[in-house]
Amino acid sequence: MSATSAPRHVEAFAHAAGSVAAGVPGGATGWHGTLLNIHIAPAASYEMEQLAEAHCVAGRGIEGDRYFLGTGTYSPKPDTREVTLIEQEALDALARNDPPLQGGPIQLAPIDHRRNLTVRGVPLNHLVGRRFQVGEVILRGGRLNFPCKYLEELLGQPVYLPLYNRSGLNCGIERGGIIRPGDPITLLD
Amino acid sequence: MSARIVMRLTVVEAVATTPEVVRLTFAHPQRPELPAWEPGAHVDLRLPDGRTRQYSLCGDPADRSRYVLAIKREDAGRGGSLWTHDNLTPGAVAHVSHPRNNFGLTVEARRHVLIGGGIGVTPLAAMARHLAARGADFTLHLCARSAEHAPLLPELQALCGDRLRCWFSSGGSRFDPSTLGAPADGVHVYACGPQRLTDVIQDTLKRTGWPAAQVHVEHFAPMADENYKPEPFDALIASTGAFIHVPADVSLLDALRRHGFAMPSSCEIGVCGSCECGYRDGTVIHRDVVLPVAKRQDRMMPCVSRARVNVTLEL
Repeated sequence: MSATSAPRHVEAFAHAAGSVAAGVPGGATGWHGTLLNIHIAPAASYEMEQLAEAHCVAGRGIEGDRYFLGTGTYSPKPDTREVTLIEQEALDALARNDPPLQGGPIQLAPIDHRRNLTVRGVPLNHLVGRRFQVGEVILRGGRLNFPCKYLEELLGQPVYLPLYNRSGLNCGIERGGIIRPGDPITLLD
Repeated sequence: MSARIVMRLTVVEAVATTPEVVRLTFAHPQRPELPAWEPGAHVDLRLPDGRTRQYSLCGDPADRSRYVLAIKREDAGRGGSLWTHDNLTPGAVAHVSHPRNNFGLTVEARRHVLIGGGIGVTPLAAMARHLAARGADFTLHLCARSAEHAPLLPELQALCGDRLRCWFSSGGSRFDPSTLGAPADGVHVYACGPQRLTDVIQDTLKRTGWPAAQVHVEHFAPMADENYKPEPFDALIASTGAFIHVPADVSLLDALRRHGFAMPSSCEIGVCGSCECGYRDGTVIHRDVVLPVAKRQDRMMPCVSRARVNVTLEL
């Protein structure tokens, strides 16, 4: 970990996944979601801290977060990581051991999963290549998030397989601003 | 290094328990409860330069609101304890990992014999608290230079009563592991402290027939990854063509000595650099903290470093 490396983000719609998805029609529409929680961590492997409001900076990330500061585990590797989101519905599925891929239910609290925003009612897997709004902030879906073994090791819980294909969304910030839990989330375009 | 979540904790109390040992109490600035831990567990303390040091939790495992560490000032050490003593004062922020336990109590034991040498008493203090709270059968042997130099002495006296036996070398009394006698079913021995103490305990108990499964030892070693699993490999001696097999539980340094190589050494924990030797033709797993990266292509520390499958040594 280098505390001084400048963060390098791939613009969401320039990402290998986002650039393709942006040109392909489809995806759920007409939904209305909610921002439940905001978490950041100052550096790789540091515990997440819950925020009552967060300042999102376009092209950079959430102020104070490791991927804003360039101190994240994957900061040296350019990618779309300005903001990461995960569905509360995926966490609910883990908590009921659905599908039953592991020994039993897994309680993964919003402070544990290491994604920045926990959301409800937002079909994240449909938002690669799409623009959507969280409060006053506009995000662009760059690629699907993918679970990593590092998270499993950090948590000491077998979360890799259960999170597979529902690990959330990596986004770029098109328009920055302040977000707070309770903010509505809606599709643009 | 095996990953663990790091918390930014607040120092709420710093009290000298001996002239060299400070007892530090930490709390979480936002959460009333810290992660649960078992007696014998340790945490990593992160230093400002990114290095980490392992310290055993010595408080009450049942008290989730606090972590307690006792840290000895090592003036000749590598700087971690000096930084700790100078900077971790009440109100300071310390970067502390979630706990991990490599030195757990054996739950099915009917009697526990705890032996702590100096600052090595810290994990045993947590064990004693846990056992005392359950009315379990235990004895804590505390070995130190003198009462003044015995870490946590007043609280251990209050906790253990006559289950605490003190051995102060300044008064001529030394713990003798042969007094533990023959092994008995359900009796487990736990030792932590300087290697000369743990070695004599292990050697004596082995001689008197104690099964290894009933003797638990923790060393204070600066290994970066305590979960590293050593594997056997073969060392080829370049000058003679001889192969030396290094079993998983034997260091390369010890294997060389057994084959007649008079290797210099001192710390034998990858810190001092005394045992450095050259190698070629092999994948070496460097586990020391002393050899500069630039030298790792052809030099290694056989006290802690090993090889994948085989290595040729310049001996």
